[in-house]
Amino acid sequence: MDLPLLSACFAAFAITLYVLLDGFDLGVGVLLLFQKSDVARNHMIDSITPTWDGNETWLVMAGITLFTAFPIAYGIIMPAFYIPIIVMLLSLGLRGVSFEFRVQMKKLKHRWDFVFGVASLIASLMQGLIVGGLLQGVQIEGQRFSGHVTDVFHTLPLVTSVALVFGYAVLGSGWLIFKANIVIQKFARGCIRVASIRLTVLFCVGCAYAASVQPGVHSAWIVHAIPLSAILILFILVGGGVATGTSFGVSVLPFTFGLLLFLLGISGLSLIFFPNIIPFRMSLWDAASSPASQRFLLTGASLVTPMVLAYSAFAYWVFRGRTPEKGWEQ
Amino acid sequence: MMKLDAAILARTQFAFTVSFHIIFPTISIGLASFLAIMEGLWLKTRDAIYLEIYRFWLNIFAMAFGVGVVTGLVLSFEFGLGFARFAQIAGPAIGPLIAYEVLTSFFLEAGFLGIMLFGFDRVGPRLHFAATCLVATGTLFSASWILAANSWMQTPTGAVYQDGHMVVTSWLHVIVNPSWLYRLPHMISAAYLTASFLVAGVGAHYLLRAKHLAFARKSVALGTAFASVLIAGQIFIGDMLYGTMLKHQPAKMQAAEGFWEKESASPAPYYWIIVPDQKNQRNRFAWGTPYLGSIWLTHSLHGREEGLKNTPTNLQPIMGMTFYGFRIMYCLAIVMFGVGGSSVWLRWKGRLFESRWFLRTLVLMTPSGIVATLAGWYLAETGRQPWVIYGILKTVDAISPVPAKALLSTLIGFVCIYMVFMAAFLFFTLRLIRRGPQQLTLNAEASGSLKNALRPHLLDKRVFEGR
Repeated sequence: MDLPLLSACFAAFAITLYVLLDGFDLGVGVLLLFQKSDVARNHMIDSITPTWDGNETWLVMAGITLFTAFPIAYGIIMPAFYIPIIVMLLSLGLRGVSFEFRVQMKKLKHRWDFVFGVASLIASLMQGLIVGGLLQGVQIEGQRFSGHVTDVFHTLPLVTSVALVFGYAVLGSGWLIFKANIVIQKFARGCIRVASIRLTVLFCVGCAYAASVQPGVHSAWIVHAIPLSAILILFILVGGGVATGTSFGVSVLPFTFGLLLFLLGISGLSLIFFPNIIPFRMSLWDAASSPASQRFLLTGASLVTPMVLAYSAFAYWVFRGRTPEKGWEQ
Repeated sequence: MMKLDAAILARTQFAFTVSFHIIFPTISIGLASFLAIMEGLWLKTRDAIYLEIYRFWLNIFAMAFGVGVVTGLVLSFEFGLGFARFAQIAGPAIGPLIAYEVLTSFFLEAGFLGIMLFGFDRVGPRLHFAATCLVATGTLFSASWILAANSWMQTPTGAVYQDGHMVVTSWLHVIVNPSWLYRLPHMISAAYLTASFLVAGVGAHYLLRAKHLAFARKSVALGTAFASVLIAGQIFIGDMLYGTMLKHQPAKMQAAEGFWEKESASPAPYYWIIVPDQKNQRNRFAWGTPYLGSIWLTHSLHGREEGLKNTPTNLQPIMGMTFYGFRIMYCLAIVMFGVGGSSVWLRWKGRLFESRWFLRTLVLMTPSGIVATLAGWYLAETGRQPWVIYGILKTVDAISPVPAKALLSTLIGFVCIYMVFMAAFLFFTLRLIRRGPQQLTLNAEASGSLKNALRPHLLDKRVFEGR
């Protein structure tokens, strides 16, 4: 059995779940910055209250899987993205706290809403920087990161980070259209149009630009010409569809389309990166820990993950349907 | 201006974030088991006072748990952020232990913390008690995995160094390494002692102000009873751990006792205060109790103790940090032992709730468990230096290729934001203590959020609505 491949699948699974799940609540957080009404902001936050922190669990799962199964890659990626990762972690922590403080300190609520929005925005931007930094390529020498921590602040990562914010905004608006009251739905429809146009444009720009600056991306386009083109065309179709509002008849559709956009993006990236774990430089197998470690990890993961999934699904089921006007606590 | 040293900054950052983090699991491990006992006692006796105690500490437990989660998230990435080489070498050995900690503790938390915090009215007392017990078990699992990983770094067994990373030959030996067997009970009973002194301290605070008397008496009675039993056990476990570490890491214990000479004078004093001069391998100043060193350390009147010069200078830990880590922990243990003994005496005399000097001491001792735990960790971690994996990898060789400026900026960021967390935790905890136990209902309100931890407002709302 190809253990590193299995571990990589598990890591990819954890990352995908993280991006899809935390994506929409980060998106809702970003949208708070554009919502002037206090009551509306309360309702928006209520819509993500029950589930947002369970979503973050997957980030830890992904990080520790990388640490265990691909320690070489973990030891390169962490220093390479030192600044975005720490800023992201601090933003996520601050976001978690402001989530609670906004209700605690009623007089300063709007300030905390602002902190919540900005922390969501910064965390999203940082995640986008990491994606772009990987696409751009990481300098290594042997098993060591040999570039500079500021390498990630270049054009391509900046494009992807802004694109990811719009992507999360699409997910967040989709979620609000699905879960929130009429007033917020109207607001979210406006947001999703704006965000999905920009996302689609930036996605195309990012594709073209990545191919021009990174030979690895260029050659991936040649090797996987058909699937990658198909992904790009589908992305434009779905993104355009969301932007023109054709999907608004059924309330769950915009959110589903948002998820689909992310799945397309992630499959594209996987095609480009595979079989490398440090894109274009180091393969899964070169970065893998010994079979004993992989086997031990995979045994635990395969036993416990189904239970975690079952619980998470249950939590979503408990809080199904529209968000109550006065929050879940009624 | 002092030149910035990346290795020192990386270590400072890790030390700061991990020190800050450990405070909260220590509280939540201790309180989780305490809560399970309280709820069990309530189910058995149906005495409402136990329920009141349960309610009161549930909220503080939840907050400590929440801060622990947020700061723990950072640590799982920090192995690689600051210590990339360490991550690459040790990942195959300790990575799975941490992955199992994530898997087992997340599973139990995710499943049962929500019920514990919000589910009392929905699931009934028995199932709720089961949830409390499972959460307590989860905290113990979590501690076991983390202690296994850290103990492996202290006494690495079951793996061999091959081509730049560890290859595990026996998971049993990686997990059940020689120091884990003593360090795990040592840490767990430290957490229990922490909780006992928190409980007793808050009770004493109320007794001194003649408030919430029934609650206060029960808290003092329970807290001191647990503390008396635990401290005796803790000193016993600590002594065994001392022997183990003397065997595996002699340099740590040499530094911890403050002797430099290959053989100390006979009879050896027991030093309480030293001003070590690492460069010249001597103490500028040392003050101790004559004979006590020989008696305690060698169990004879004239025995000699080995000093740090037995370890080559390039493999020595910094004596000052290790010595004071040990002394602070040890002196607090002695005081705790005194408090435990006094409580037994006062209980016998029937004056446990009247003796004001004793109650004042208890109030002072409220944070003693936390301070002693931190000091103990300083002993363990600074005494292991210059190694990060003892005998295999030096700390200076483990750090990431990250420039000092970046490390300094993020360190400042961590300090600022963690201060906000600490301020919030203290603010809400002190407010809960000030408001007292009777104003609380059993549930935090349901919202399904696990980090409701940081949401005491829910309780406040109930207070206003309910009265």
